[in-house]
Amino acid sequence: MTKIWVIAHDDTVAADLVRSARGLGSYVGTVCIGGHAVPGADLTLTAPQIPETLIEGYSSAIAEVVKDGDLVIFSTDTQSRLLAGLVASTLKTSVRNITSISAEGDTFTITRPLYGGLAVVTETLGSGASVLVVGPGALPEYEGDLPSGEVKDLEGTPSTPGLKVVETRTKQVQAVNLAAAKRVIGVGRGFAQEADLEMARELAAKLGGELACSRPMAEGVNWMPVECYLGVSGATIRPDLYLAIGISGQIQHMVGVNRSKVIVAINKDKNAPIFTHADYGVVGDLYDVLPALIQAL
Amino acid sequence: MKIVASFKVSPETQDIQTRPDRSLNLERAQWKVGTYDLNAIEAARQLADEVGGTVVGLSAGGSALENAKLTKDALSRGLDELVTVVDENLVGSESYQTASVLAESLTEIGDVDLVLVGAGSSDEYTQQVGNHLGQILGWPTLNAIETIEAEGDHLKVERVLEDGVQVIEVQLPAVLSLTSGANTPRIAGMKDILAAGKKPVTSVAAGVLPSPTATPVSQLAPEQVDRRQIILEGVDAAAELAIHLKAL
Repeated sequence: MTKIWVIAHDDTVAADLVRSARGLGSYVGTVCIGGHAVPGADLTLTAPQIPETLIEGYSSAIAEVVKDGDLVIFSTDTQSRLLAGLVASTLKTSVRNITSISAEGDTFTITRPLYGGLAVVTETLGSGASVLVVGPGALPEYEGDLPSGEVKDLEGTPSTPGLKVVETRTKQVQAVNLAAAKRVIGVGRGFAQEADLEMARELAAKLGGELACSRPMAEGVNWMPVECYLGVSGATIRPDLYLAIGISGQIQHMVGVNRSKVIVAINKDKNAPIFTHADYGVVGDLYDVLPALIQAL
Repeated sequence: MKIVASFKVSPETQDIQTRPDRSLNLERAQWKVGTYDLNAIEAARQLADEVGGTVVGLSAGGSALENAKLTKDALSRGLDELVTVVDENLVGSESYQTASVLAESLTEIGDVDLVLVGAGSSDEYTQQVGNHLGQILGWPTLNAIETIEAEGDHLKVERVLEDGVQVIEVQLPAVLSLTSGANTPRIAGMKDILAAGKKPVTSVAAGVLPSPTATPVSQLAPEQVDRRQIILEGVDAAAELAIHLKAL
């Protein structure tokens, strides 16, 4: 029997991962910190989120529960990543950031990116619990029945000696969910100043798309929020349409967008690598092309 | 304060070529200090300059670490000295294996107050070596650290989450992994490069690595998606693109 554990600290994330995990194993358990009964899980272990402590303090308790499992699955957020690392170290194994997984009998084969997406590594997982961080779309879709299971308390108290949360500032999270958007407009360094992004916003509104960007726009000039940048260290998307404006198309960016159904590029450099990945491209200055395009749509 | 800035050297991605059978050709690729690892070196230097102390660079890897040009480059970015762990088994090693080796070397370095790690390596980008390392050592461990401030005998750090920022007091010794936006790494000047040649480099043995936890099958460039490649130029290009977009 293949035994899978999903570790999350959000009901929705847990439910999504559990549903997908059902397609991979006959038993799916979950530890949901600060959450409730997760639909589709044979067993939900809940644990409270305690103020001033970190949820990562549950790592030993979680390692104890999942040590006999085959797969231990985490989401890609910052806290889940740290928790994954702590749990994996306790189990003396490494964390893998996977982009796909398939099962053949008891053997799992995974893929993960290497060299910023320039290469794909394929590996078969060894025996013992494998700790995986899964990005959006990495797990197979599952449409079958979702059993309802037991709910219990996770045994153990959170402990992070030497760490004390003295303040938590919540920030206004952009309501956009790039992973779910059907159309995405990406902006890059081709824009000379921040105010010019208004043109891209207008185009996004016309096309019914969300605005995203390349890394320097979020971590460089800081004209766009950091959750909006696409690429190996940012968000990965697979929309119906990705329209890149003033983005050269380095591999680190393309790995975040190359599963888009249609890629459109606007760039003044006709040798920009983005054009080799494009279905449609316009070679021209975005300051000429965008107004004309908005007009024509 | 004795601060260790840990970094990984890997082949420059831009120099890696893909063969027609999708295998990779690394022959022309220069080995370099990871882009995000430079943030760890910079943060370590800034903190040491502020509170006093030394910055020790630490890297585990293959024979690329024996290249004097590369070690000099790392030293010129703000390290006081460098400790390398060279073993061919460390080329492509898993994050837990690497962390185990680093943990042993830290014991040899001794009296370490703080280990700083970049957001992720340039090749694997697993973002886990710092997390594994902290757990192995049993030290306070955090990832996604954007700012570090010394406050008496402890640190006050800001950690960036998806929906906010946590301000956390960290007792030492600790292991912190940074964000890629934590600072802007310095560009070494001629003086730094000349000084780097005189800084000590020590090599320590790797010991026995823990067993790997997966079996490699292949390492290939991704299959290319066939794109239509309709590239438009000239005054009517925008209008023509609009027609294609409306048809989607």
